[in-house]
Amino acid sequence: MTGRAELAAAQAQLLRTLLAGEPVPPGFDAEKVAIEIRALRNKRRHVVDYLRPDVRAALGNERFIQLFAEYATAFPRRDGARARADASYFANWLHARGELPEPHRPWWRRLTRIFGAGLAELRRRTQRG
Amino acid sequence: MDAADAEVDAVASQTLGLGIGWRPEIDLTVARLPDLDWVEVVSENICPGQLPPALEQLRARGLPVLPHAVSLSLGGAEPLDTSRVEALAAVAAALDAPLASDHVCFVRAGGLDSGHLLPVPRTRAALAVLTANVTVAQSITGVPFALENIAALIEWPGAEMSEAHFLAELTDRTGCQLIIDLANLYANARNLGTDPERFLDDIPLERIAYVHVAGGVERGGAYHDTHTHPVPAGVLDLLTALRERHEPPGVLLERDGDYPPDAEITAELASIRARL
Repeated sequence: MTGRAELAAAQAQLLRTLLAGEPVPPGFDAEKVAIEIRALRNKRRHVVDYLRPDVRAALGNERFIQLFAEYATAFPRRDGARARADASYFANWLHARGELPEPHRPWWRRLTRIFGAGLAELRRRTQRG
Repeated sequence: MDAADAEVDAVASQTLGLGIGWRPEIDLTVARLPDLDWVEVVSENICPGQLPPALEQLRARGLPVLPHAVSLSLGGAEPLDTSRVEALAAVAAALDAPLASDHVCFVRAGGLDSGHLLPVPRTRAALAVLTANVTVAQSITGVPFALENIAALIEWPGAEMSEAHFLAELTDRTGCQLIIDLANLYANARNLGTDPERFLDDIPLERIAYVHVAGGVERGGAYHDTHTHPVPAGVLDLLTALRERHEPPGVLLERDGDYPPDAEITAELASIRARL
């Protein structure tokens, strides 16, 4: 009889199959597992889309779906991960691959960049004199 | 019948009536519904110290507000995350709710989070895990507790009993109640070939706290319980099938998005009430 530890291991393996692309464990219907994998990924993608509609707008629908599938399998959601962080990581992953023009900067970061540039210039001028 | 049985029966038969899943997007709609008896809220979306005014108003009108959790992962075999149970307990207390609930499922394992309600094996081992976790959850929440059946696209190998018998055993061992989701039952009939009438024959009907109905859609080779479509006739037919066997204390319409006009929601509630 399977005890708690064995069940925990089996549940962990099932999640690696459903979320991280590992092979289907023995005894499961592979076709149904494939449907579940898609359903879980679609659900995760819908949340990311809701939080960052700008990303799908920038990529176009088809590319968004394709790239999210790649990202989602490479980075299965970890216990404790927040949806908003997932959306940010996806955007950063896209930027690192050159798929997005530039990383999303909140307006206040853009302002500090401008001020930062101004301060650097001021420092340079005062150091000369 | 001893005192404990009498108490269980008294709690199990608390009449709720016809309700709807409360969502902030439809707070005005819900406030205006003419014939509503109660609401259910997703507990993870509620901050106990900051109840939405719309919910406070419903409570002030005397409508019960029941918290329904989705993240406790009570079927998970790793150590139970009791902080999530405590969060549900706090919401139940803030709402002065007569009942709290979650699902017969697991959500997380091996450091990964499915973000979804996944089935557990229908085995004695899984039953032992659920029994232990539900017992702990009940003691933490301190209010009557109900477990809901889920829709599954996959099945574990090595099932030792039917879903109905699994639920019956669970209620027997823990004293918990059941939320019977007829839309999930309908989805499983379509996707897994299960027999919903046999299920209704075999579950302990007196343990039903209330019933869920919801809409869905056929897509990509499976029926998906989306909660964003009208309730199909097949689901309402299951409500009739249940009603022929037992009068459920409550029925709840779940809608999570793509909200139709008020008149359509009102009509859908009326069509549910007509089956009771």
